[in-house]
Amino acid sequence: MTDQSPPSPEVAPPYRLGVDIGGTFTDFCLLDVRSGELRSLKVLSTPQRPGEEIATGLRALEARHGVAPSEIAYFVHGTTVGVNTVLQRKGARLWLLTTEAFEDVLEVARLKMPDPYDLFSRRPAPLVPRERVAGVRERIAADGTVEVPIDEASVLAALGRARDDGADGVVVSFLHAYRNPVHEQAVRALAERVAPELDVVCSSEVWPVIREYERTVTATIAAYVRTRVADYLGSLERSLVEAGVSAAPMITKSNGGIMTVGQGKRECAQMLLSGTASGVMGASWVARQTGAEAVMSLDVGGTSADVALVVDGEPRHGVGELIGDFPLYLPTVSVSSIGEGGGSIAWVDSHGVLNVGPESAGSSPGPACYGLGGERPTITDAFVVCGFLGDSLGYGAVTLDPERAFRAVESVARALGKGVRETAEAIIRVAVSGMYLEVSKLLSRAGLDPRAMELQAFGGAGPMIAGFLARELAMARVVVPRTPGVLSAFGGLVADLKNDFVRTVYRDLEADAVGELRAVVDELAARGVAWLREEAGFAGEPVLECSADMRYRGQSFEIETPLELAWLRDGDLGRIAAAFHDEHRRLYEHADPQAAVQVVNLRLVARGVTPKPPLEHAPPGDRPPRPHAARTVWLDGTEQRALVHHRAALGAGSAIEGPAVVEQEDCTTVVLGGHRAVVDTFGNLVISRIAPPVAAGE
Amino acid sequence: MPIDKVTLAILGNHARAAAESMAYTLYRTAHSTFVKETEDFTTGLTTPAGATFATPTELGATWFVCLDYGNAIRAIDGYEEGDICLTNDPYSGYVCTHPPDLHLWQPIFHRGEVVSFAVGHIHNTDVGGAVPASLSRTLTEVHQEGLRIPPMKLARRGELDRSLLDVMWTNVRMPEQNWGDLKAQIAAMRTGERKVHEMIARFGVDTFRSGVEDLLDYAEAQARRVVRSLPDGEYFFSDYIDEDAPGGHPCRIALRLEIRDDEVVLDFSGSDPQLESSINMPTGGDPRHVLLMVGLVYVLYSLDRTLPLNAGIARVARCILPEGSVVNASFPAAVGMRSLTCVRLQGVIMGAFSQAAPDRLPAGPASGGPIMNVNTVDNRTGRRVVASIDPITGGAGGNPREDGTDGSGANSSFLKNTPVEINEAEVPIRILRYGLARDSAGAGFHRGGLATELTFEAQAPGTRVTARNRDRTRFTSWGIQGGRPGAPSRFVLNPGTAREQDLANTDILTIGPGDVVHIRCGGAGGWGSPLRRPAEAVALDVARGFVSPERALADYGVVVRDGVLDADASARERERLRAEEAAADGDFYAFGASRIAYERTWNRACYAALTEVLASVPVHWRFFVKHRVFERVEAHPPDARPGDGSEVRAAFDAVVASYVQLRTVLAAGAARR
Repeated sequence: MTDQSPPSPEVAPPYRLGVDIGGTFTDFCLLDVRSGELRSLKVLSTPQRPGEEIATGLRALEARHGVAPSEIAYFVHGTTVGVNTVLQRKGARLWLLTTEAFEDVLEVARLKMPDPYDLFSRRPAPLVPRERVAGVRERIAADGTVEVPIDEASVLAALGRARDDGADGVVVSFLHAYRNPVHEQAVRALAERVAPELDVVCSSEVWPVIREYERTVTATIAAYVRTRVADYLGSLERSLVEAGVSAAPMITKSNGGIMTVGQGKRECAQMLLSGTASGVMGASWVARQTGAEAVMSLDVGGTSADVALVVDGEPRHGVGELIGDFPLYLPTVSVSSIGEGGGSIAWVDSHGVLNVGPESAGSSPGPACYGLGGERPTITDAFVVCGFLGDSLGYGAVTLDPERAFRAVESVARALGKGVRETAEAIIRVAVSGMYLEVSKLLSRAGLDPRAMELQAFGGAGPMIAGFLARELAMARVVVPRTPGVLSAFGGLVADLKNDFVRTVYRDLEADAVGELRAVVDELAARGVAWLREEAGFAGEPVLECSADMRYRGQSFEIETPLELAWLRDGDLGRIAAAFHDEHRRLYEHADPQAAVQVVNLRLVARGVTPKPPLEHAPPGDRPPRPHAARTVWLDGTEQRALVHHRAALGAGSAIEGPAVVEQEDCTTVVLGGHRAVVDTFGNLVISRIAPPVAAGE
Repeated sequence: MPIDKVTLAILGNHARAAAESMAYTLYRTAHSTFVKETEDFTTGLTTPAGATFATPTELGATWFVCLDYGNAIRAIDGYEEGDICLTNDPYSGYVCTHPPDLHLWQPIFHRGEVVSFAVGHIHNTDVGGAVPASLSRTLTEVHQEGLRIPPMKLARRGELDRSLLDVMWTNVRMPEQNWGDLKAQIAAMRTGERKVHEMIARFGVDTFRSGVEDLLDYAEAQARRVVRSLPDGEYFFSDYIDEDAPGGHPCRIALRLEIRDDEVVLDFSGSDPQLESSINMPTGGDPRHVLLMVGLVYVLYSLDRTLPLNAGIARVARCILPEGSVVNASFPAAVGMRSLTCVRLQGVIMGAFSQAAPDRLPAGPASGGPIMNVNTVDNRTGRRVVASIDPITGGAGGNPREDGTDGSGANSSFLKNTPVEINEAEVPIRILRYGLARDSAGAGFHRGGLATELTFEAQAPGTRVTARNRDRTRFTSWGIQGGRPGAPSRFVLNPGTAREQDLANTDILTIGPGDVVHIRCGGAGGWGSPLRRPAEAVALDVARGFVSPERALADYGVVVRDGVLDADASARERERLRAEEAAADGDFYAFGASRIAYERTWNRACYAALTEVLASVPVHWRFFVKHRVFERVEAHPPDARPGDGSEVRAAFDAVVASYVQLRTVLAAGAARR
């Protein structure tokens, strides 16, 4: 258990370290608590030997920055091990026990197909195939009463089949278990007696809400990744000890918070979007610095381009985020994929039309310019041909070969009948228009206007492409944080301890519900405080945030409505209903104050606020800053001269006019013509238009 | 002049973004739960002439890719900025296809000229008429199906026509809902207008104007390329709706598909005369009517998923739609439940194309099924509960690559089910079973998809159960290339008890406490001979509960005893069945037993004769005469029917002879000619 009170600089070791392990790179972000100074580095990930990259990184920190592992007081970590287990389908061999006559829950899912125009469209094969699903004779009614007592013989038979089959674990998901978990618990007790080697996960323990498919698939994912994640966390702990880090590691969660390793091992489903969510937490932190009301974060790597919305400094949350092919019904920071990243492949169809993606060269073989065997042109190759990228990427981990990029783009140029550089720019434009399409959908769904928004770019390729996307969307400005390549690692450093609690009430919001609402919120609050104190070892003031999933009677979806605890404790139905009507109006532009309102779930977030780093202000920079090189780039259909700056050489107030390129060890920022980039007091690069938008295209 | 191909790609993405944004705006701001649940709406952008060049693919109904608003647009004299027009009349221009669909179109101006129209519709839960929700199969003329509005202006220069709104809200059952949804539609139009203006600012008006035409040409060129990949030829396929009226005779949809180079002709001659029930399709004989293009879009897009989805696709096709038939009903035939016919027709198109591309297309889909509604009283609260509980759908046909999807798929892919837990919490019924129906799939090398089934028990007296669009208890899906047909649908009261009752195609019944209702959709057809399916795969289906050991033996020749595959016994049994299979005639399609039996009487020759004789009588006589002919033909013992169509002609002559009124009508017709 860690003590979360701020370490005193005199006695405690002075460093806080955030580490994020991605598919290609592992990012380190180190904060000196005394000075507020941030340092970062990247090493190549070693998925075959987990923990090794951390040891490598720690050695590099010591060598480059003179920071000994023993000086690290706080270690927070994000990882993709859980999500990769699902993506690669390398998780546990599971059995699923359902209520008899409802065994097809994972097969049928919610019926809807991914692409309704395609006669071949199909749902992904479930993580537990149907032959490993066993029905159990038992039944609980919607109000929680036991209609058919659990038949132990059918449980024992199912457990026996699972054991004989060599299963690693068993998922138990019975109808209405969110209301009464007694039968699920009975299975757990029996399993402990007759098959203790089986890892048992009950749906009522993972996220106990109404809707059997959603609850079952979530419990299934949780069980599927548990062993691998727990093993991984165990080896992480060992490698930290071996490396001499005494701080107990904290793990970033999908909800944007952090938790202890101990909890991570048990509740693996909570860290499936670990790294992704902490990137958005980093973006939110920067958004609070720049004071922007509405921000879209853009994280582009080699294989994915993801965006998230941050409104008033808070990331949007949701349930049902996709983990690979499967929706996960746990509260998570909402992140949407808008493309396949720098590795997306360009091609020309039979009508002579240029397309980009969905096929991607990924990180292996990667873009042609990596020289690792890729031959088809990717977005990254297009940027190389246009002259925006230097000769290496990612702290020198990848050397770029412009000749290969040129040859790859040339193949498409021939099919298009255009010049190679012209084609390269066309590839960028078509790729950006694809992102424009996806972002437009997302913003329309959220009811946000891009023209009033800020685009915050991070990830290896985000700052390179952000200017183009912002121009297409007519967004107000682009912000590139100081450490765009390691923002996920940074996000962990500024995240709070955070856990979600839920209980399904499913009641009309009427006088006779007051007692139950009060009892449930008190119970959730008690569990929240207990979590902070006992599980997270938090000594500070607990913050409890309450909300309810509510709807008008007859609606089939709920709206999460923030509520004050006092309203529930005082039975103030008027304020609760008013909050729902307001929220409904905010989201959908209308409300129906006369209609009956239902409370489906009550939810509570327990938050332990961690000390926030007093980040150093950027030192004043040269005005005008001195470029270190000039380069010929191809932009807006013509050859242009662009000055190249080192990010490190820029200070607060430094201003650069585009076209220009800003290079730093982990990424490259492109400043378009007609735009100016200014470094703000926190060291963020803020890019905005100086002239009316340049007409692009034609 | 065509625009640059790079700009075309970018413009295409912007156009789609516009349509998707319109859809999200509508979905987000719509009031009725129906819109949110069924997503039965569309949005889009058209050229000034009315061709849809942008349509959403993520939200909304899948039927409107090829919708042409031209007739509606031309019905209005002159447009001004701020105008919004509407219609829901299926017989004014054939844009709207049944009265609940309220279509809007708004001109988008640039410097005084119309450059595009923002368009779209919402299916309103109720537009008045004889029954709540305005839909019933028993309705016989469109006047019973609600208020109809011919194309007219809803707003002039930004001012809504309050009198029109008053008329509308006076005639419908839930005016607040319709008004709320209409506002969402208007918001979507505004979004479309703004997006078009942004596109013009981005690309310039000339590029926009030629670009949207180029997008249509692009889809057309791609569609032609897909069609060219199919062998030229003529392919015939037909299928049936079980009943042309409650308890009636089958309704046949026949298609002669002609593929010539990069064009297709879909000739529906031989389809049944229009019906005295509401499952008629109002197409106006338009050779590229949107309802006929749906199946074509499914097929071409499935053959190549890079096909851009817009009205350019329709240019490869021409349909022949005999007037007064079920696929081209004459006013005032009722059309409310045309979706049943549309879904069957989509299957017919898929079936015909599968002959041209057997190794690239699936076998027959289950094709939808009813949405179950329950109207009952909660014993604890005394409150009446009316709820839609689940769509009862079936899977996709087996295909050359793999098994058909279970539970849903092919052309019934967009509906969601309702969780059992939500149903039980909301509706006072006890659900006894929800899942995949064993043995419902057509056997095959790649089997068809299984159907879903639902069993529930009523708790209160006077519980009314509605199952709209019941069908497929008689005529099932079909297998191809040796695959077997899917199982028929089932609707049974109190199964397995002395009170068991087969409800067949009943669509409404009243039950009491303790009564158990079981319903299942039909299954989808299999692809390829089941004897080629690996025995292990069959044993796995047995282990999964998808196939019973009995059917594994009968259909696949695979012996599974106590869950264990007997490889030797299976090999012997399969050897025997292979010999039987080789002796059979090896038809391309495999139909269900009921269809085979039916077509012993009603073969193609008889249908050709029937089509011919019915064409000779006026439209309003055809349904009547068809029924009389059926009665006479079927009154003869089977062995007394020659099967060459002469029995149909004889029956027709007898009908003419027995109705003096008909003779008079025919004589008058002959005199006119």
